[in-house]
Amino acid sequence: MTDFKPSILAFCCNWCSYAGADLAGVSRLQMPPNVHVIRVMCSASVKPEYVIKAVTQGIDGVLVLGCHIGDCHYLTGNHRTAKRIPLLQKILDEAGIDSRRIKLDWVSAAEGEKYQKVVTEFVEEIRRLGPNPLREVRF
Amino acid sequence: MNDPGKEISRLAFDERGADYLLAVREEYGNAGPAFVAKGEDVGDIRTDIPYQLVTILRKIYPYMEDGKIAVVIRRCEEKALNELIKRGIIDGDRIIRIGLACSEGQIEACRCTDPVPSCVDIGSPGKGWNEDQLSKELSAMSSEERLDFWVAQFRKCNKCYACSTNCPVCVCDHCVLEECTFVAEKGIPPGMAFHLIRAYHLSDKCTECGECERSCPAHIPLLTFRKMTNRDMKDLYGYESGDTETVSPLLTTLEGDLLEEEED
Ligand code: SF4
Ligand code: SF4
Ligand code: FES
Repeated sequence: MTDFKPSILAFCCNWCSYAGADLAGVSRLQMPPNVHVIRVMCSASVKPEYVIKAVTQGIDGVLVLGCHIGDCHYLTGNHRTAKRIPLLQKILDEAGIDSRRIKLDWVSAAEGEKYQKVVTEFVEEIRRLGPNPLREVRF
Repeated sequence: MNDPGKEISRLAFDERGADYLLAVREEYGNAGPAFVAKGEDVGDIRTDIPYQLVTILRKIYPYMEDGKIAVVIRRCEEKALNELIKRGIIDGDRIIRIGLACSEGQIEACRCTDPVPSCVDIGSPGKGWNEDQLSKELSAMSSEERLDFWVAQFRKCNKCYACSTNCPVCVCDHCVLEECTFVAEKGIPPGMAFHLIRAYHLSDKCTECGECERSCPAHIPLLTFRKMTNRDMKDLYGYESGDTETVSPLLTTLEGDLLEEEED
């Protein structure tokens, strides 16, 4: 498993988490490779369909990061996300896709260090889980 | 007109004041939908309804400008109707319900846990099932085994869309499953995303009517998958679809206030 290089998507909302990721970068915090950051306007722009598409096409892990509850630029966008992701995780589990491959967390613009921590821990978790079995499945 | 036909006509037109009646009748040797106006002969009614009459109701409703429509409904259809009313798709005041209790055979086919309509006009109430054997077996499996099972099942899918066409509560105007972003335009099978997106979309609407499973030419146990995800919805948010009041947790904030409607 040592040569397993997970490929991971991190959806970051423009107003908080992307700024947090930026801060982590500017502060030159050590960050694991293979995390592809996708900037979205709000965590609620990350429709569960996109996450489903990513995991069924073999992405090893998907991070969804938004503003803390109460701080969403669109007021309740992250409430939507907070309701959707846990349900999506359960549905994926029922189909045999490990829900730990999906993670939702909140990172503010000031939390460069938290961003680094969340990403690093997630990459570790995915390393432990190994490659997404759907990588090898041809439909 | 046979006896059930007479009884249903009487209930619909004489007793409950309907202008139209939607039911299923004998047509050229098998069952077909019947939509008649007051005063017309409804024909030989059949109570072994082969699909969801509520799905048909939803499709003709936009063309029915006025009048009250009586519909023969089983418990699952009653729940679907409630979901449509709750979502503003059908005006409940225009619908008259004629409750039909499912037979033992129908209950068994759906492993149905909730088979009795709130008002039984025809048939006698049967006893619901406690559990779906396949769901139980799948839940006991390891994640890898479960994935193998579903991959093998979903590989049989020929993307005929019968599951969504026949679903009474599959109601979006624009179906993402028809978008090539999520489901490749060409080729079959459509892949796993097709089925997971359906599961997610129906998680706050599905009534476990079993129509998707019955319509599926590949015999994919779609109802079992729905039962499993409905249970998840219940565990997570205490939500069960099928009434006219309870708002889907996906449409409310963490405090339970209504969210603004989303644009497509
Ligand atoms: S059982 Fe299938 S057809 Fe019936 S409401 Fe649920 S998803 Fe739709
Ligand atoms: S009815 Fe069966 S074969 Fe047809 S699209 Fe649905 S799952 Fe696939
Ligand atoms: S803008 Fe950050 S979660 Fe909505």
